[in-house]
Amino acid sequence: MSSGTGDDEGDLTRKQRREQARGERKALEQAEAARAKRRTRLTQLGIVVAIVVVVIVGIAIASGGGGSKKTVTAGSHESNATVAEVKTLIDGIPQSGNTLGDPKAPVTLQYFGDLECPICKEFTLGALPTVIQKWVRSGKLRIEYHSLETATREPEVFKDQQEAAYAAGKQNLAWYFIETFYHEQGEEDSGYVNEKYLQGIASQVPGLNLADWTSARSEPTYANEVDADAQAANQAGFTGTPSFLIGKTGGTMQKFEYASLTDPTSFDEAIEKLLKS
Amino acid sequence: MSSSVLRKTMIVLTAIGLCLAAYLTYVHYSGVTPPCSIKGNPCSQVQKSQYSLLVGVPVALIGLLGYIAIFGSLLAPDGERARLVTMALILGGFGFSLYLTYRELFTLHKICEWCVSSAVIMTVLACLAVWRFLRGEESLSTGTISLSARQSVQQ
Repeated sequence: MSSGTGDDEGDLTRKQRREQARGERKALEQAEAARAKRRTRLTQLGIVVAIVVVVIVGIAIASGGGGSKKTVTAGSHESNATVAEVKTLIDGIPQSGNTLGDPKAPVTLQYFGDLECPICKEFTLGALPTVIQKWVRSGKLRIEYHSLETATREPEVFKDQQEAAYAAGKQNLAWYFIETFYHEQGEEDSGYVNEKYLQGIASQVPGLNLADWTSARSEPTYANEVDADAQAANQAGFTGTPSFLIGKTGGTMQKFEYASLTDPTSFDEAIEKLLKS
Repeated sequence: MSSSVLRKTMIVLTAIGLCLAAYLTYVHYSGVTPPCSIKGNPCSQVQKSQYSLLVGVPVALIGLLGYIAIFGSLLAPDGERARLVTMALILGGFGFSLYLTYRELFTLHKICEWCVSSAVIMTVLACLAVWRFLRGEESLSTGTISLSARQSVQQ
């Protein structure tokens, strides 16, 4: 009886051992399969990440390199190119103070900008040249430049640079100064605007008498003009630049919401509408 | 976190992102100024900049289509392939968000709250999608083993 029971126990133990061994083998196989699956997933993840990186780098390169901008020195190759470009754009168009265009033009566009604002640069180099060529050069539009502090951090620097532009207007060359500034605009918040920089911009303005310009900068007229612009912008409810008012010359000006900084279509439509009315 | 909860969380996040992208697409085509709490309304400036278009297609619309695709992949029956597709789409969206944020910070020097919100959602989604894909059906299989183990102990 007892030996029979012992045999049973021995059989059971062998059975249990076999079961145990089978179980361990199965567990090992499962673990190996799980490891293989994990390896496959990691490989797939790596492939997806690599594809995404290649596509995004491609998009970044195709849409134009980086954002670092350097300050251009007067007389350099880049400066000469800017001067030539600005001359081609506005040479021969009447200027008076901060206004570009025929004083009798039927439509007036008021452009509120900050010379350090990169979005204004995008507009000035994007949609504006077409607007100037199509409407200002033909005598149908005059553009007034007004100041609104947005991108410039220090109010003193803002006043200084905007007054410098208006002071060039005393010689009816403000738009050369404004265009040159935007073309050569430096890195935002890098503190690039200082006296040397402003002198550098002024020295690139064709025909500007630097001594007269320097003395005009201290006249209170231009500081008052910048303050008046701030009040006008506040009244219009502007908080960002560029912002615009448009209307018939001498008439009521209305807020103008542009659709694109680079596509002039919305400007064309607004001007055409005013010319027809 | 169970597979079901994880998937539902991702669906909710994707739905929020989809609404954001739909609004920004509307802003682009209607020309309205989006509300923005930052001085100077950089949101509007970013929306109207040259980087708001990619080969002539508004990036907001690309984002909307991306979120719709992610949403669809999350609603598909759960499986290895569906999780891979969801992860690939989300990582693509995450990479695109990174690129757009780079443009905002280093090219335009403006931050759009709407875009940042979408980028944050896409970042969280990317973490969840990678986690969901790598763990596979781990939680489900672990649950099965523990159940069978309990049964054998009871026997």
